[in-house]
Amino acid sequence: MKEVPMSTCEREFILSAIRDRKRIDGRQTYDYRRLKVAFGMERGCCIVELGDTKVLAQVSGKIEQPKKNRPTEGSIIINLELSPMASPAFEPGRPTESGIEMNRILERNIRDSRAVDTESLCIVAGEKVWCIRADIHVLNDEGNIMDAASIAAITALSHFRRPDVSVMGEEVTVHSPEDRDPVPLSVHHMPVCVTFAFFDQGEFLLVDPTRSEERVMNGRMVVGMNMHREICTLMMSGGMLLVKEQVLRCSQIATVKVAEIIELIQKALDKDAQARQAGEKCGFAESVPSNKITTNKKEPTSVDTTAAAQHASQVIQEAGPVDKPVSNMLVQAPGTVQIGEGLVNTWQVDDEDMESEEDSTKKTATNGREAVAVSKPTERKRPVKTVSHAEDSGSEEEEKVVLYQGDVEMKSTEEPDATTLKQPTSSNSDKPAKKKGKKKKAAQK
Amino acid sequence: MADSVGKVVIPGDVLSEFRASEKTSKVALGPGLRQDGEEVLVTKSGILRHKEPNLYWIDCHQRRYIPAKGEDVIGIVTVKSGDVYRVDIGATQPATLSYLAFEGATKRNRPNVKVGDLVFAKLLVANKDMEPELVCIDSGGHSSGYGVIPANGGFMFHTSLNLVRKMLSPNCDILKFLGKNVPFETAVGVNGRIWVKAKTVKDTIVVANAIASSEHMTNAQIRTMIRQLLDKLSGF
Amino acid sequence: MAGLEIISDQGYRIDGRRSSELRKVCARMGVFTQADGSAYIEQGNTKALATVYGPHEMRKGRGKIQHDRAVVNCQFSMATFSTGERKSRPKGDRRSQEMSMHLRQTFEAVIVTELFPRSQIDIYVQILQADGGNYCACVNAATLAVIDAGIPMKDYVCACTAGFIQDSPLLDISYVEESAGAPFLTVAMMPKSEQIVLLEMNSRLHADNMEKVLDLATQGCKDVFAVLDRHVRDHVSESHALMTAS
Repeated sequence: MKEVPMSTCEREFILSAIRDRKRIDGRQTYDYRRLKVAFGMERGCCIVELGDTKVLAQVSGKIEQPKKNRPTEGSIIINLELSPMASPAFEPGRPTESGIEMNRILERNIRDSRAVDTESLCIVAGEKVWCIRADIHVLNDEGNIMDAASIAAITALSHFRRPDVSVMGEEVTVHSPEDRDPVPLSVHHMPVCVTFAFFDQGEFLLVDPTRSEERVMNGRMVVGMNMHREICTLMMSGGMLLVKEQVLRCSQIATVKVAEIIELIQKALDKDAQARQAGEKCGFAESVPSNKITTNKKEPTSVDTTAAAQHASQVIQEAGPVDKPVSNMLVQAPGTVQIGEGLVNTWQVDDEDMESEEDSTKKTATNGREAVAVSKPTERKRPVKTVSHAEDSGSEEEEKVVLYQGDVEMKSTEEPDATTLKQPTSSNSDKPAKKKGKKKKAAQK
Repeated sequence: MADSVGKVVIPGDVLSEFRASEKTSKVALGPGLRQDGEEVLVTKSGILRHKEPNLYWIDCHQRRYIPAKGEDVIGIVTVKSGDVYRVDIGATQPATLSYLAFEGATKRNRPNVKVGDLVFAKLLVANKDMEPELVCIDSGGHSSGYGVIPANGGFMFHTSLNLVRKMLSPNCDILKFLGKNVPFETAVGVNGRIWVKAKTVKDTIVVANAIASSEHMTNAQIRTMIRQLLDKLSGF
Repeated sequence: MAGLEIISDQGYRIDGRRSSELRKVCARMGVFTQADGSAYIEQGNTKALATVYGPHEMRKGRGKIQHDRAVVNCQFSMATFSTGERKSRPKGDRRSQEMSMHLRQTFEAVIVTELFPRSQIDIYVQILQADGGNYCACVNAATLAVIDAGIPMKDYVCACTAGFIQDSPLLDISYVEESAGAPFLTVAMMPKSEQIVLLEMNSRLHADNMEKVLDLATQGCKDVFAVLDRHVRDHVSESHALMTAS
């Protein structure tokens, strides 16, 4: 099916917003959208939601003959499926170029970086090894499938349990789960991808591009990294030119983001393990809120007036050590975790808390992320500004409380002064009396 | 079953007892209703609506646009060919828009429309067997608001058809209340596309987001939301 | 490969190079008559052949015409005899599709495509012998071929690999070093402005070492550029001399 064409108007506006350091959904340069990890009933199955992007991963294992040149190693197969279900842009049939590229990045990120120990998958050398297969299905493409898929893949691999196997002489027995507890794969480290989108020939850079931003961007860079700050894959391409400093800068930003994401994954896994042990309900059905309009609903987003894109020159200037992440994550329903609610983010790293718009972290031209991070506690003001919805009841309310506990305390002290000197340019105090809108249509009908 | 007006109906429901027009003793059935012999069947799930004297239709949540004659839409010019433009209006097939269907356009004096431009136009022809046809003039040959939407500064976004209908209904507050507080221009296409342009990029984003998030809100909630947004805008 | 020592105590590598030394580069331009531009390159034991056709009319049946620029079409293939084990599929597998795509992206960024709207430029590369750094050899060969074809480019584009083995960065990784499982970085850049066109990395590398490796790869690209530039100048002055003589 043909994708809806993008008009010059949209393109120009998105670009001009980025040049103005704003994003259409009100996020900041380095903000991820709301990230949510949920597990299925079965082991090795998870859904990752990144904003409206949804990705499902399922891991399965079977026993087969090893490759001749590696008789003592099992194999890991990663398959990314871009089904036409996810977006009108995906065609059924052969994988597209971008599909192949993403699949290769995932393979490199997880398999080639030896994230999963393949030698422990050997049963009988040269005869029987485990072949672990991770199928990743994109369910809804709202941009940045890459990151969502990499998170889903590594989470599912960590969540997976393979049946225990014992070897008695020539005989290989595969034990049923009732017989013996299934064993987890040995995951050495968890590499996660972070995608950067570049605009205006690398002049501006954003993290976690949405679909519309992806359609406008010049090119992107994917950095796959693990907790130990080891780069597991790096891919930059797509007809744009960068200088070395930008690359290094991206790897630093990725460090922070990856730490946050991995902590979230870890929390999700722990939470799920607890829930399973306690015999609580788990699975997707539990993680999807009921009695809610899910498709057409759009969370109200606030628009941040602070800079949302970083200038290339700034990037170079600021290249320096990146502060350690402070984590404040929320764990909710069994087997589910998420960061932020609506587009309100809890990434504290850059402290670009985009939730409140006067909360502009004074991130003007020169002071870098380091400076921002230091002054963080005094800058936060308004905790949540999510406009309450009719259906915003129950669980979400509670979450919010948890989510912003820390902030509420900080809130009181520094509200007044910071706000006033915020955005002299952007404040809209001069509302003209004349309403020039020639509302083209409003009255008709 | 006239009392089911305003209630949710589901495909397969059988309706009867329509109020017919007194003069012609006819009943007009709109989208989502189909006559089957003596009965009227529901074909879409949604809310049954009635307009005096004899018009019935179903208001349903839908995202794909089905063209209807006389509706105002926003389209994206995709191809220039011969003496027509092809315009994507989100329907099953692209609509055509003649070079001459602009104010003051003649054979010599062609309008300056580029591929990728947005046009705000009215559907002149819309039926299931023909390509939809658009015009950017009214019957008197004047633009009356239609035409090419300038690409600088404005933003177009896609919403559900329901939100657009809600916005355009006279008892909805979004545009009225928002417009009182933030000056902005807007063009609303019933094909689920809304174009807004405010003074600054920031204002435009605010307006667009306010509109997009208002779909499931009551008027009171919309007012609250807009007030909160404005507070933010003015720096509080 | 565990027992293999990549760098000796004296600081020499298996093939006798120092850690920041390139392999010997040999190049020829204009090797075929049919193609608009062609080149052959040897980087150590890696040998690659590139031909360029275009800019020419778009092939039919392709709805990819761009109204504002030329489309670059790349095809990468590896000869069946290029590797130790005979390759059953010279092209079309995932790896070569990925390689083709990377080549395309590289050259789309460098060729001034805006000059030839509605047209197509074909770049075909083949690896005749693979000994590590296949992508680099392809890019370097294709650059020469594009220059030979007289297609306007913003700058040369040179590619080079750099690895990080036994705590020291190594330039221009050979197959043996590649298969030792150590991290290596592939960079394609415009050597004069040091702008990176393509960057790719495999295996695990600590972020702190990134800069060192990237610096070395940059240096490598500049070295490759120096060699290529000399070849191009020689080639051009030679053909010029022949033309003026007649």
